[in-house]
Amino acid sequence: MTDDRDKLISEVVEKALQGDMDAINNIEDRVIRSKAKAALHKAKKAAKAVESSASDANEDKTETSPKAEQTIHQKMAILIEEKESGSVISQEGEEEACIYIKPESWESLAPILRNDDAMDFDSLQCITGMDMGEGILESRYNFHSMKLRHAIEIRIAVPMEKPDIYSIEQIWRIGDWFEREVYDMYGIIFTGHRNLKRMLLPDDWEGWPLRKDYETPQSYHGITVPKVKEEWE
Amino acid sequence: MTVDALYHWLNETFPFLSGNEILIVLAILIPSVALFMVIAVNALVLVYAERKVSAFMQDRVGPMGQGVGLHAGKWGLLQTVADALKLISKEDIIPRLADRKLFIMAPFVIFVGAFIAVIALPFGETIIIADMNIGIFYILAVSSFGVIGLILAGWSSNNKWSLYGGMRSAAQIISYEIPAGLSLITVIMLTETLSMQGIIQYQSGGLFSWIVFSSPFSFIAFIVYFIAAIAETNRTPFDIPEAESELVGGFHTEYSGMRWSFFFLSEYANMLVVCGVAVTGFLGGWQSPIPGYFNTAGWSIFWFISKILFLVFVMMWVRWTFPRLRVDQLMDICWKYLLPIALFNIFGVGIWTLIFG
Amino acid sequence: MGIIHGEEMVLNIGPQHPSTHGVLRLKVRTDGEVVSDIYPVIGYLHRCFEKHCENVTYEQVIPYTDRCDYVASMNNNLGYAITVEELMGIEVPEKVEYIRIIMAEFNRIASHLLALGTYGLDVGAFTPFLYMFRDRERILDMFELICGARLLYNYIWVGGVSHDLPKGFVETAYGFLDYFEPQVKEYNNLLTYNKIFIERTADVGVMPPDVAISYGVTGPNLRGSGVKWDIRKDEPYSIYNKFDFEVPVGKGELGTVGDCWDRYWVRMREIEESVKILRQALKALPKGGDVHQAIPKKIRPPKGSIYKRTESPRGDLAYYITSDGTPKPYRLKMRSPAFTSISVLNEISRGWMLSDVIAILGSLDIVLGEIDR
Repeated sequence: MTDDRDKLISEVVEKALQGDMDAINNIEDRVIRSKAKAALHKAKKAAKAVESSASDANEDKTETSPKAEQTIHQKMAILIEEKESGSVISQEGEEEACIYIKPESWESLAPILRNDDAMDFDSLQCITGMDMGEGILESRYNFHSMKLRHAIEIRIAVPMEKPDIYSIEQIWRIGDWFEREVYDMYGIIFTGHRNLKRMLLPDDWEGWPLRKDYETPQSYHGITVPKVKEEWE
Repeated sequence: MTVDALYHWLNETFPFLSGNEILIVLAILIPSVALFMVIAVNALVLVYAERKVSAFMQDRVGPMGQGVGLHAGKWGLLQTVADALKLISKEDIIPRLADRKLFIMAPFVIFVGAFIAVIALPFGETIIIADMNIGIFYILAVSSFGVIGLILAGWSSNNKWSLYGGMRSAAQIISYEIPAGLSLITVIMLTETLSMQGIIQYQSGGLFSWIVFSSPFSFIAFIVYFIAAIAETNRTPFDIPEAESELVGGFHTEYSGMRWSFFFLSEYANMLVVCGVAVTGFLGGWQSPIPGYFNTAGWSIFWFISKILFLVFVMMWVRWTFPRLRVDQLMDICWKYLLPIALFNIFGVGIWTLIFG
Repeated sequence: MGIIHGEEMVLNIGPQHPSTHGVLRLKVRTDGEVVSDIYPVIGYLHRCFEKHCENVTYEQVIPYTDRCDYVASMNNNLGYAITVEELMGIEVPEKVEYIRIIMAEFNRIASHLLALGTYGLDVGAFTPFLYMFRDRERILDMFELICGARLLYNYIWVGGVSHDLPKGFVETAYGFLDYFEPQVKEYNNLLTYNKIFIERTADVGVMPPDVAISYGVTGPNLRGSGVKWDIRKDEPYSIYNKFDFEVPVGKGELGTVGDCWDRYWVRMREIEESVKILRQALKALPKGGDVHQAIPKKIRPPKGSIYKRTESPRGDLAYYITSDGTPKPYRLKMRSPAFTSISVLNEISRGWMLSDVIAILGSLDIVLGEIDR
């Protein structure tokens, strides 16, 4: 039974990749249909990855004339590498597009991102803190350029024992609040921030709540946290 | 019904007490109690009217009695009575850090200011408590008495918001008295008297003898006075001392219960006074619009009250239509527009009288 | 202004104050009436949204997104659903797309009506507020018709919507639009072109475009500063590319570009544009189709992260979702537009008067549920 199903799915995915979406949509059984769609997505992604790695390989050979198909992250990674050599750790994450930057080079790199004509990231969209486990904290920056209409994601990983990242609060003013929020939740110290205080939590809160090893306190200012679990929990 | 007439009447009715001080006290007390009733009823009616008028302007129904048992009566007629009962039964809170004596005193100071102004309002040819020969001057003088109460309330509450409210209202009321006074000067120039009854007598002879229609300048004077009057009563668009959305009530933030209701009473009494002065000075007072008809004592009360109510309605109309001004814009309007216009008006009325009068 | 200096005073606006639109606290340093510094203190409404999300499944996150921006819940639902769908690679049926757009735009109108109405209230005009609430009420009635809830809908699900449109909805929606369009004119007569309102808002709290971008301000606030940036147009998600609508920007018609009046006016114009989109969407709405067709049995996105922006009534609403392949998000970050809007307050309201600060704060249209999360 399952073999039949798998076979059917692989058939329709094959068809869909050639542009015949009806094959999937015509499946009666809802479960199979959704499975087929998921499989299709996976297949498409894999195809893309192959393509991009292929273009990667091309770039290595012909770095002077970058191809048009290269993603924004690849383009930016090359640009950044030109300006600040050795600052890029890797320019693709495991699953998704991003640029990993060395924490040490962030101080000199941030103004370039903001001011360089080819990058011109004038809008800092978001800073996301992240606990990667294994004692690694990450700060992920989503930038956007209002003029050139492109966006990238930059990641900086620091060890939990010494979570220091240079603050970009004075380059993008919204960085002030975003960094305070990340500090509040993850305890990442943004060096050079002029007012690094807790943002959403009370000033006397202890611990960094969004770290994976955070333990919920039993009481706060004498108010005990109720132990009784609700039904839905 | 002046105090003098009452005193005479008391002397004649109680000959055995003739010449006694008790009669003087009585002669003052009786009209005062009546007056207090007038102010209280005035507030009851106007609060209800304000609720209903605003409701109809805003596409709602306002207070309505519904259901069985205790409720606000048909069409919510008893709403204000219920409000008054609630206010009376509320706890009287005085902030611990407030200046206690001044805090208690302030609402009464404001109320007294409104109260003593009402005594010079003529409700009819003989229906006036004190017919002074400087009536209009007297009203202008005592109506600024309330400012002291506002500042006291703002200061003694020991609250920054209240302080702002008190300061704003002081600046506002003092400024707006000037254009109000100057536009009343045009009335005095025409009538050549300061007596309220004298001013009304000058306007006898129907609608077109009223000062507001006597010349274009006096019409402008009326408008200037009316704007200044709205400002003096702290109503939108000049309600910056209270400014619900900025100062959270301003000078009366810390007041509750009965003390707070005194602010309310005096606000509506003040509306009565400023509209009464406008009616007296520009709209023929208690005179009927048709000469020779409807001018008995009863009708004169009707005319006076209905003219006042009309102006009060306009005030409410303005209040529920306009946003609020900022404090510096408020001063701009007073000093840069109303004051020059009012001054110019005095010349205008003078020249007009010289040519046509 | 500014010649005579008195002693400075620190004034606390909030957390309980009629004009802070929630539990926001502003520490304001004033010199008389003139404000010299503002320090917004937020977090009074913090409910650990992101921490919650790490402990519930993807489906269970949706009701939480409702409660972030509680006056535009549909847009929050939509943003979240689209993000997860993109992560999983789900394609939703056309009918669902249309229903979603209709809901999002209706909610945009409702949200803008609330913003404009309370803005009138902030500057002291009470009546427009009630007029706008009267009309907003009709939109909420329609939402009630659709999903039974008036404020927190939990309507847009990953892969679909919770209920199909009820019978007679399209007629009701057309009826509302026919009624509503002339109302905009009434608002304009009553409030927008009121002389006092213009005095209070034009030239007040000017936010230059570079400041707005640097502070990450988005949505109507950014467009009020003259920057033409609307994700619906520039980076179309769902089926926004099928509709013909304009992106209104502030032009400084009555003052400087980027003043409070411009921000107000952009919202007013956006209401009209939303009506335009709604008419097109209602016309093209497919008749048949199953709205539950694409809803996955189990939401288990592949490993990876995604940052996806959508245009909520307040600006760029983005979700950053990291999945580790389990049914619960590894990390979910919400980039809320109101959070960035409020951060600019100090910059643009220094030197203005206390009353102006209230007016500027109102013009930024913040929702505390979204700022504090």
